[in-house]
Amino acid sequence: MSRTQILDRAVGSAMSALSAAAKRGLGDPALAELVVIRASQLNHCAFCLDMHLTIAREHGVSEKQLDLLAAWEEAGDVFDERERAALALTEAITVLTEGFVPDEVYDRAAEHFDEGRLAHLIGLVVAINNWNRVMVSRRIPPGGYTP
Amino acid sequence: MTTQETTEYAPERPARLRWAQHAPEVYKAMLRLETAARQGLDPTLYELVKIRASQINHCAFCLDMHTKDALTAGESAERIVQLSAWEESKHFYTEKELAAIELTEAITVLTDGFVPDEVYDHAAKHFEEAELAQLIAAITVINAWNRFGVTTRMAPGHYTPGQHR
Repeated sequence: MSRTQILDRAVGSAMSALSAAAKRGLGDPALAELVVIRASQLNHCAFCLDMHLTIAREHGVSEKQLDLLAAWEEAGDVFDERERAALALTEAITVLTEGFVPDEVYDRAAEHFDEGRLAHLIGLVVAINNWNRVMVSRRIPPGGYTP
Repeated sequence: MTTQETTEYAPERPARLRWAQHAPEVYKAMLRLETAARQGLDPTLYELVKIRASQINHCAFCLDMHTKDALTAGESAERIVQLSAWEESKHFYTEKELAAIELTEAITVLTDGFVPDEVYDHAAKHFEEAELAQLIAAITVINAWNRFGVTTRMAPGHYTPGQHR
């Protein structure tokens, strides 16, 4: 059975507003793409990966970082401490069914991001998790995004 | 006996971050999304979906809120209690509710795999297309609230039914 392609206009518009507000408040477009791509890897969202890998390259994220993102913890100095703290938090918030968000992961992020930026970083992880869910559930194929 | 025994519970932990105050535009978009996602869905079903996703994501604040809202709306304690074991207590729910709960689980536990065809197709049998699209949106939105709730450690126990309507 083919899957529905419907995404209610009001739902889609609120989701876009959420993503935009979170991204704006984080104020770091390159880091935002790393976060969004990592969550999309964990949630296996092909459409989202295709779209955000394209956007990441537009923002000048290096091929090295994109290649090694799935193994960022073992990637040495390819990612700095701030990026690593953000990625660890992204993973904890995305894989919620296996446990809570550990204090050490949260505290580490809080060391690198003030409360305002942290609230928006959390918002961004939530926002991409939203897109991952509506795209995977409806099996939206990759390739639909054009810059 | 004059000794009065009082039960000592563990202390309540404070929230980590008042995220809505620090990110008001994000919060506003979430409220818009919530309003948009619930359109066209049966409120009784909607609360069951919210409770089941919140159980799987371990969101204490969300469980506090949605079990209270469900009870206030006339949901039975029995159906709420049985929800985490719904596979063994199917006779408490309609076939349509069961299809929605199953889809809720598949969309919530996304990191373990995709949304299986049999789960999607089962839901598609019970929901017409536009309603199914809203159900997917609703499951997505409670997952979003769950993520804010757990990450910022919003404390359960203080919710009054209808407070966030």
